[in-house]
Amino acid sequence: MTLLSQHTAPEQTRTVATAGPSAPPVLAVRDVRISDRVTEREIVRGVSFELTPGKAVGIVGESGSGKTLTCRAALGILPPHFEVTGGSVEIDGTDIATLTPPQWAALRGSTISAVFQDPASYLNPSIRVGAQIAEVVRVKKGLKRREARHRAVELLRAVRLSDPELVYGQYTYELSGGMLQRVLIAAAIAADPRALIADEATTALDVTVQAEILDLLAELRERSGLALVVVSHDLAVVAHLCDEVLVMRQGEVVEHGPTRAVLYDPQHEYTRLLIAEHDQYGLEKFLTPKEAS
Amino acid sequence: MTTTALQVVPARRRGAAAARTRHALGRILGVIARSIGIFVPVFLVATFVTFALRSLSGLSPARIQLGENATPEAIQRVEAQWGLDKPFLAQYGDWFTGVLHGELGVSWVNGADISTLIGLGLGVSLSVATFALVIGVVVGFALGTLAALRRTTWIDRAITGFVTVISVMPPFVVGIVLVAVLAVGLDVFPSAGYLPAEQGIGPWLAHITLPALALSCDVIADVARQLRTGLVAAHSENYVTGAVVRGLSPRRIFFGHILRNGLGPTLATLGLKFPALVGASVVTEWIFGLQGFGRFANDSAQAGDVPAVQGVLVVSIVLVVSFNLIVNLVLARVTPASQRGV
Repeated sequence: MTLLSQHTAPEQTRTVATAGPSAPPVLAVRDVRISDRVTEREIVRGVSFELTPGKAVGIVGESGSGKTLTCRAALGILPPHFEVTGGSVEIDGTDIATLTPPQWAALRGSTISAVFQDPASYLNPSIRVGAQIAEVVRVKKGLKRREARHRAVELLRAVRLSDPELVYGQYTYELSGGMLQRVLIAAAIAADPRALIADEATTALDVTVQAEILDLLAELRERSGLALVVVSHDLAVVAHLCDEVLVMRQGEVVEHGPTRAVLYDPQHEYTRLLIAEHDQYGLEKFLTPKEAS
Repeated sequence: MTTTALQVVPARRRGAAAARTRHALGRILGVIARSIGIFVPVFLVATFVTFALRSLSGLSPARIQLGENATPEAIQRVEAQWGLDKPFLAQYGDWFTGVLHGELGVSWVNGADISTLIGLGLGVSLSVATFALVIGVVVGFALGTLAALRRTTWIDRAITGFVTVISVMPPFVVGIVLVAVLAVGLDVFPSAGYLPAEQGIGPWLAHITLPALALSCDVIADVARQLRTGLVAAHSENYVTGAVVRGLSPRRIFFGHILRNGLGPTLATLGLKFPALVGASVVTEWIFGLQGFGRFANDSAQAGDVPAVQGVLVVSIVLVVSFNLIVNLVLARVTPASQRGV
């Protein structure tokens, strides 16, 4: 399994401990390259990973490293004048390059879905949040209006919102960031997708709310076998959820392997830097000496 | 454990439903209260200024009735007849009470009841203005939507060009061209006059089509431009990406999500368009020989018939403020975030 592009040195390459050869991957990204057609620059230079059901893959790296573009390519929502110029993405065995718009619409939501940073902006400000979830259920699952409403309230309860009936009838500007991220997750899982991409989903939230959202994602994964792609600039978030980590820098994967191996035995100097900074600037530094003394 | 849970859940659900009903009721009451809160002060101030115009203008019924050579005694006698010798605020009080009862007074020129005269003209003008608004909204919507869907293509540019051309053509020019081509040249529509709707919908429409077309150009242009801009802006919002990722079809995303949010500026513009239509009707009514509200306003002003002009202003104020309130209510319904001033 060659996972890294030719730009990285061979000794940094790791082979991934495959969870089980039996399950076919929900999402397979193979040596994907993304270019900006205007500046003719290659922004993402060969990213590969496989996501089997129930697995969680993390992508870490600084801003501008190509994490988000990789995810957007997998969802078919690259910004204007960006395009996949090499490699392939397969969702459930289908190459996305061959998909027609109706096929895309059928696949999104019910096979692969996503949540993002700044959840308020990804929900329509003019429609009650519950109605937006019910819309997904109605369209993707063919439920009647009343059943869809009922299902939407159930989903809001499933993402641990304390008063789902009340939240159903509220608008985005009436909810807090943490509640909105829960609503966005509820909308994303409404059509029972098999893979969920969480692109910086907890970045804008404060630490306690972030922990709750991470627990929620872990719970969804455990309960329904939802496969996760967790994108974050924060190594701690990824370490919390994922079996496998990709470390990206300037469009390249500099390190790829099982989470424990990457955390305890980082090979690339950038990964070492990331971990060292956590040691240096994390809270543990201040807590441990006190407890020791 | 399970039994208590079963009892708790329906009770909670009822509570939530009741809270939702209260919430909705509160919202509606709030909107009504705010509408009244806007309407009443605007109406009071505007009518006061309107009434003060007589004192400021120095016009008097005596000059109209007795001519330039009247004696001061005769003038005083006539002014006393009209109640103009009373203190200003008392005059205002009398007049305002009449306005609240729908009585706008009597014309200085011919002694006719102003409410009746305005009622006659208003039927004509509202028919034309409403029809112009309908044409403007329908055509403007179609053009704006098409331009937004095909943005940056030649269709978009052609629509933008067309819209720019019609936006700079004043209604009287368009009116004259329409009469020359469609009425005189092709004889499709009558060139002038008006028939009330009671005498048949067909003839009524035929008579108001040309003036409505002349007035609608401006509305078409503004609606199309605002809608195009609004839709293009809404199209690049994150919630559109969100809807795409949830697997909704492009058609559903356009009608359910983009259109709804892109509509705000267009609706706000429509709120401003209505007063402009009432104002522009003065000229078009001359061209198409209609005895409408605008022509009545013009004739009254030229004759120095102050009560008639005041009546015209009161009716205009009511029309404009009511129309703006309706637009605001629709806007609040379509984009709830606009209600809290963000």
